[in-house]
Amino acid sequence: MNKIFAVIKREYFQIVKTKGFIISTVLAPVIMIAFIAVPVLLSVKSTGEKKTIAVVDMTGQVFQEFDRTLAEYKMKDESRRYTVQEFRPTAEISGLRSLLSQKVLVNEFSAYIFIPDSILSGGEAEFVSQHVSDFDEIKRLSESLNRVVVGLRLKKEGLDPQRVSDYMKHVGLKTIKVTPQGEKEDVGGTFAMAYVLVLLIYMTLIFYGSIILRGVIEEKSNRVVEVVLSSLKPFELMMGKILGIGAVGLTQYAVWALIGLVMSQYGMSMVTSLVPAASGIKFAIPPYIFFYFVVFFILGYFLYGTLYAAVASTVNNEKEAQQMLMPITMFLVLPILLMTMVIKDPSGSTSVILSLIPFFAPIIMFMRICVLMPPAWQVALSIGLLGLTVVAMVWLAAKIYRIGILMYGKKPSLPEIVKWIKYS
Amino acid sequence: MYALEIDNISKRFGNFYAVQNLSLKIPQGTIYGLLGPNGAGKTTTLRMIMNIIIPDEGKIRVLGRTMGEDMKQRIGYLPEDRGLYPKMKVGDILEFLGEIKGVPKNAMPGKIDYWLDKFELTGWKTKKVDELSKGMQQKIQFIVTIIHDPELIILDEPFAGLDPVNTKLIKDIMLGLKDQGKTIIFSTHRMEQVEMICDNICLINKARMVLEGNLAGIKKQYGKNTILLEYEGDIGFLRNRPEVEKIDDYGRSAEIRLKDKADAQGVLAGLVGKVRIGKFEIQEPSLNTIFIEKVGRNEQ
Repeated sequence: MNKIFAVIKREYFQIVKTKGFIISTVLAPVIMIAFIAVPVLLSVKSTGEKKTIAVVDMTGQVFQEFDRTLAEYKMKDESRRYTVQEFRPTAEISGLRSLLSQKVLVNEFSAYIFIPDSILSGGEAEFVSQHVSDFDEIKRLSESLNRVVVGLRLKKEGLDPQRVSDYMKHVGLKTIKVTPQGEKEDVGGTFAMAYVLVLLIYMTLIFYGSIILRGVIEEKSNRVVEVVLSSLKPFELMMGKILGIGAVGLTQYAVWALIGLVMSQYGMSMVTSLVPAASGIKFAIPPYIFFYFVVFFILGYFLYGTLYAAVASTVNNEKEAQQMLMPITMFLVLPILLMTMVIKDPSGSTSVILSLIPFFAPIIMFMRICVLMPPAWQVALSIGLLGLTVVAMVWLAAKIYRIGILMYGKKPSLPEIVKWIKYS
Repeated sequence: MYALEIDNISKRFGNFYAVQNLSLKIPQGTIYGLLGPNGAGKTTTLRMIMNIIIPDEGKIRVLGRTMGEDMKQRIGYLPEDRGLYPKMKVGDILEFLGEIKGVPKNAMPGKIDYWLDKFELTGWKTKKVDELSKGMQQKIQFIVTIIHDPELIILDEPFAGLDPVNTKLIKDIMLGLKDQGKTIIFSTHRMEQVEMICDNICLINKARMVLEGNLAGIKKQYGKNTILLEYEGDIGFLRNRPEVEKIDDYGRSAEIRLKDKADAQGVLAGLVGKVRIGKFEIQEPSLNTIFIEKVGRNEQ
């Protein structure tokens, strides 16, 4: 037992002490937060510059109202963001337009808007500028113009624009999740978190699996294996490695959870103070989901970790390993591909069967638990089958590992590996 | 008491016998040489002693007890395929490998410093393994093998890749360990090292033992029927002399085997005047000759 512990300790500190681990553990959440926070902050503290826009209003009815509507957009110092200057249509309209084009080109105006006569009966206005790729700005101008013109059109028909807009208000459909604890409004936060957790399981299984793979191949190609095996059993070395690297994974999760906790305490209040609309989003993970997350991560990690270790022991380098890893990777990728199907119909027979297959269970069963809690017997059966498979895999992997780790040279074929299992 | 008793062990890989019906007894406090050409089964034998490969048949007793995992702490093993974690510091790696050998934690720093000093590696403790030269890494390997003060030391090709200075260093340490009562088994195909330090030898060829026993005794069996000659000139004509059985000619020296009861004086007389003689000595055959002869005969 002490020997396994020594191996675990070595594996653990060898990774945890590296710069790569520290950077990825601390920086990953920081980058993720930045991805969320930066656009939010940018949209709040928009740093637009003042603009002067020329307007040619052929109808003579739009400009005044448009001017008033645009007055809503303000700079920090409360001055107007958009100043509009009307140009009365002249007899020679094309002459006026080319004059305005010139003015736009020399930056006297940032743009000019041409409102044709037909606008009140369905025509389109034109926005003429040197650069027409600031979609936010175009959207703002378009919306303002839209409001004014639609109002005019309604008035022309004798309707009150305010009342029409009340009648036309979009009808919302609130989603409420019912659980044995009662009904609870679901604003999508729980589901989004579950989605993130499923992807996290998938990514960490592949990531830590390949760390095991590299570790075993490194020990083999550096010829350290036999030196170590003169002190302990191959099984102890294999399990020590898998446990040590698994502990690294849990450490990384713990750090992330801690950062997440701090963020949800302080970060959210900061965000909501800037964007009141964000207060509806809740990043709370129900405790039972967190519990199953840890259970399925640990079981899945042992299942795939032993597989990776067994494969690594039979090859001489990573290139050879890639080929043999294909089926393993398929087992992991398939549930991700089936994700939408399972989310749509979490208690359908396909979802149930898939969630009971041990190689898919860590991802699919966990996904089902997040979406809609399956019957207890299904969860228990899935965990039970997964647990048994883990035990069988550890046993099988130990047999392959024991022989493979001391074999150099030609990569063994599958029948040869089967022979090893029978043999030892 | 024997440090190691091997009783009729065999190991097969598929249809191929790596070791067949091998029996050995190695007395405590001796240096034992396991000789044989490449692929003879030396490494497999040593791995079976270490319980890394399990024999198909036969029994192995180490230090008076059946070999098992718990015995590994009393044995130091230097494998033929040996390496270190390249990114670990020398001190850390010695600590780790000592720990899995069961060295108590508080005894570790003292032992590490003692052996690093003995191998002239003080100052390299905090360096990473891949900053060390190949020779230095070999010395670290040797420290790893003996850091837990084992009673039985098994060395698979310990001198491979060492320069003469380090070869001598390792050889002196082996003799020092023997003086402390340790038993050393080592495999090699370099005969001159065996002649220098071994008490007993065993010669394996094609999975089977072909010769075993006390080195001096074996040589005596062959008797003083060999002439060691150092010369300048051409000795090709000697092949026609009736006394001569066989000549191993190295250009400036030669080993001449005589036929049974032939007299060396005739050969000497034949040489005088034809070549310049630097040395003419009647001797037992060298281990090299015995080796080649035994292995060669086995081939046929």
